[in-house]
Amino acid sequence: MESLLLDFFHNTGYYMADYRNVIMMIVGSTFIYLGIAKHYEPLLLVPIGFGILMGNVPVFKGLGLSIYEDNSVLHYLYMGVKSGVYPPLIFMGIGAMTDFSTMLARPVLMLLGAAAQVGVFITFLGALALGFPLNEAASIGIIGGADGPTAIFLTAKLAPDLIGPIAVAAYSYMALVPVIQPPIMRLLTTKKERLIRMEELREVSKTEKMIFPIVGLLLCCMLAGAALPLLGMLFAGNLFKEAVVTERLAEAARRPILDAVTILLGITVGASTQADYFLTPQSVGIFVLGACSFGVATASGLLFAKVMNLFLKHKINPLIGAAGVSAVPDSARVVQTVGQEEDPTNFLLMHAMAPNISGVIGSAIAAGVLWSFMM
Amino acid sequence: MLGIQAISAQNGWQYAFLGVCIVFSGLILLSFVLAQLHKILNLWENRSSIGQQLRERWKKEAAPEESETLQPKFSSDLMESKQHFRMLVERIGDPFALPKLLRLATKSGLHRPYATINELLQAGIILPDEDGYYTWKQ
Repeated sequence: MESLLLDFFHNTGYYMADYRNVIMMIVGSTFIYLGIAKHYEPLLLVPIGFGILMGNVPVFKGLGLSIYEDNSVLHYLYMGVKSGVYPPLIFMGIGAMTDFSTMLARPVLMLLGAAAQVGVFITFLGALALGFPLNEAASIGIIGGADGPTAIFLTAKLAPDLIGPIAVAAYSYMALVPVIQPPIMRLLTTKKERLIRMEELREVSKTEKMIFPIVGLLLCCMLAGAALPLLGMLFAGNLFKEAVVTERLAEAARRPILDAVTILLGITVGASTQADYFLTPQSVGIFVLGACSFGVATASGLLFAKVMNLFLKHKINPLIGAAGVSAVPDSARVVQTVGQEEDPTNFLLMHAMAPNISGVIGSAIAAGVLWSFMM
Repeated sequence: MLGIQAISAQNGWQYAFLGVCIVFSGLILLSFVLAQLHKILNLWENRSSIGQQLRERWKKEAAPEESETLQPKFSSDLMESKQHFRMLVERIGDPFALPKLLRLATKSGLHRPYATINELLQAGIILPDEDGYYTWKQ
């Protein structure tokens, strides 16, 4: 009786837990706190945070409970992440939710989305310099794209072992956009530049919006074929939204499918951060490089907007360049907030949505390009 | 191997430079095409009136005394809205209730649904029947 009780106690989480599990539980609880109390990306941080708690409850190896055991339920759910199935489904939902009209009204602003991707490639170089191999450096660089699904997709293809740290880094920094971006924006712009008012956007016709996903798919995916799973689904979702007659499909893509996949992705990515796999010096390197990547991407967008102003007749407010890092729509909101600190009557949100959305397309192309380089 | 040496050994510079170039090329190409898209659409939507205007100009040149020009019956915006609303009517079936059409148009994100339905009513494209429903004039 006594030995039975002792055996049972030895198999409990209380006995098996070490300090690393405790650290990860604190991280998970912090995510949940930030999501619920601070409203930082709650739809992502709450499931990821809870997943971190689930993944760090110590379990007896061999019972098929851990996400890294072949026959466990969590492992089967995690296959959607490892096989790269979830990110394209999320992209379809994003496409079905997004109105591309601001981008269509002034397509030149798309270049800011491209400029912000420079951060991806600079971080890629930084990771190579720190000794990471090519495939891992590419996966780390894509954190600067500020697009969680894209980062997970590329990492699943190139460095599946790093999915946990990269996904957590990408989503953490996305949630921290309101903290990371404003100091860089203020540092790299003058007060006069922050006060620039944008030219009013023209009205975009419904036909234009319907044709855009078809043109976008053909042009982008013909150039960067490896971006097809992400961009194909993004544009498909958008066509469902704009085609009027497929409203039911759009509704399914932006609500039930997107919500279900977000839950599964959040929880399994969180659960994949088991302390013994996650708390490594490599993860620390990934977090540091991820933060640099975000900063460089923000700065690239801002500086490119200033360069564009040298040639444009109607000047653009360089703050909107910071929205090129994707992180839809948080970085556009940050642009609006920083712009309104200088002039409360200056509304930049709609204008910032153009580089913001093109940043999504740009980061998917960047991921496709990096993937095709490594194939 | 670390630092610049590590980057060079793995062709990092080439990958990064090419990557940036491809991302820029993709978005520049897309941005250029999108900048022209509305112009092409305007041309396409006004093709009949452009044809008419050209014919009128030729006629004028041939017979300068005939100065009357034909105006297009509908603006290009209304023509486009008419097509979208016709698709919605096909979806809900003829005859249809106006509030239902309005609701569907709003849900589908069509531009100025109230004003457009009013214009379609005035143009006689949407006609009331005797049972309180409306029909689409083919």
